[in-house]
Amino acid sequence: MTAGYELQALWAALVLYVIAGSVAIFGVVLRRKPERAVLALLFLGLALHTASIAMRWERIGHGPYITMFEILSSNIWSLLLVYTLAYWRIPAIRPTAAAVMPIMFVMMGWMLMSNPYDGHAPSTYHTIWLFIHIGFAKVFMGTVLVAVGISAIILLRQSRYHGGRFTRLPDDKRLDELSFRFMAIGLIFESLMLIAGAIWAQDAWGRYWNWDPLETWSFLTWLFLIFSLHLRVAYKTTPRTSALLVMAVFILAFLTFFGVPFISESPHKGAV
Amino acid sequence: MIWQWISKLASLKFTLVVLVLVGTGVIISYRSEGTTTWALALPLFLFSLNLFAAILTNPVFRRQMPLLMFHLALIAIVLLVAVGRLSYLKGRIELAEGEEFSARLAEVEKGPWHWGQLDQVSFSNEGFTIEYAPGVQRGKTVNSVRWRDEQGTEKRGVIGDMVALSVHGYNFYTSHNKGFAPIFTWHPDAGGPSVAGAVHLPAYPRHEYSQAQTWTPPGSKSNVWVMLQFDEVILDPEKASEFRVPTEHKLVVRAGEERRELGPGESIRLPDGVLEYNGLRSWMGYTIFYDFTLPWLLASGVLAVGCMAWYFWRKFSVRPWN
Repeated sequence: MTAGYELQALWAALVLYVIAGSVAIFGVVLRRKPERAVLALLFLGLALHTASIAMRWERIGHGPYITMFEILSSNIWSLLLVYTLAYWRIPAIRPTAAAVMPIMFVMMGWMLMSNPYDGHAPSTYHTIWLFIHIGFAKVFMGTVLVAVGISAIILLRQSRYHGGRFTRLPDDKRLDELSFRFMAIGLIFESLMLIAGAIWAQDAWGRYWNWDPLETWSFLTWLFLIFSLHLRVAYKTTPRTSALLVMAVFILAFLTFFGVPFISESPHKGAV
Repeated sequence: MIWQWISKLASLKFTLVVLVLVGTGVIISYRSEGTTTWALALPLFLFSLNLFAAILTNPVFRRQMPLLMFHLALIAIVLLVAVGRLSYLKGRIELAEGEEFSARLAEVEKGPWHWGQLDQVSFSNEGFTIEYAPGVQRGKTVNSVRWRDEQGTEKRGVIGDMVALSVHGYNFYTSHNKGFAPIFTWHPDAGGPSVAGAVHLPAYPRHEYSQAQTWTPPGSKSNVWVMLQFDEVILDPEKASEFRVPTEHKLVVRAGEERRELGPGESIRLPDGVLEYNGLRSWMGYTIFYDFTLPWLLASGVLAVGCMAWYFWRKFSVRPWN
């Protein structure tokens, strides 16, 4: 019965996210401002998604971090939570939802195609450090997603397809500065994620770093993020170049978080 | 002239080059099977030079305390990693139930400056339990151990997942490797004391169908081949179970042309003595790790992130987000 409610809440949340995203996209296309409706739909979707994750957690006894279905579901939740908070607190960036939500639609489709089996949490996953590690990772990805939305607007505005639809947003220079702020916050949280992960790995497997696929690619993502921020300062890059760098960091981070499980049996291979 | 070189080393453009070199070093290390310490050591050395030079020449570090502390913390991290790599020890051992650690490691990897006190470590495996969920999914490991601390006081405790035994700076972690260990006593014909020994059969359940091992009794020149046979299901895929030694089993021992099935208390004659089978126990695999820089590394990492957050906070609070 609980599994039934859990699935119903998840589907309802996904439907609300899709409606919110569609309204945001149509709002940009039709030059309307349905921002309050989008915000309400996102918050409602998040509430139902939270309930679904909580019911599943209670039913199977472990958090959403074992199977691909759980990893995707919890990341859709956390990415949208960070994005919704930014959407709520920084009205200037609200049209970015038209760029961010299609990314979320892809993740939702992927989640629906993945197997929702229960999975088994290894005993080394029963530690507070896992939650801290994952929590920092989620904030990192969320802040980079907000920067991606802002960067997408900069790139769209410089293309010939925008048709003047983003003119009411701040200028490129200001958007670039906002995007930099989110990337800087992302850097702080990715650094914290690496430290918390190292503490967990030391306690669980007797080594704080082992160059497993996820560790290696997370470190490369961190390095590339630092590289992109330094490049911006060293060469005073244009908003367009900075936006392209943000996109590249996001792609690398996305491939690390969601691609490495395809070449590894567990999030940290052999470390169970 | 020297100042010009230092200025060049301090440039942000050089930082970019160094970051690319570090990334390349990481990829080389990740893809290579052999030792590739140089691939990371060289760029990290250049990275420290770059940071040092930047602190010396760039006036922004005199104005921005968090930025200065962040860069100093980064230098500390690089130096601590280097010292850690020179003095660390990583190893693996297996101990049968009741067996004392003898400082002989099955596998060892250590830095050239490791002058540790592994031979002073005294600890023994007092047995363990491991829960398994249906589907033979490994659960909680509870391993009782006995050890002597730095003052020589004997202590008892429990280690397992997320809890290591720490003695003389060495951390002992239980691993997923464990199995069965037939225990023997070797009585040499040449006289002298009888010696006890344990055969560590291949890990169970990973090598469930190859529970055999060739072994030379301590002090003997003869090899024996030992195979454990049992019919009962230890780890049931259908329900929750616990790792344990089988209650009934046969131990097949082959020495040259002779093949015998032994029970506890029975023995087999070898060319240079008698091998007596005492019974079946379990063995546990441990990972050993030593690196005295770890707490300092953690403190430097936290300091670096804290200073970075402090720097960005000051920078961003000048102008509102909206």
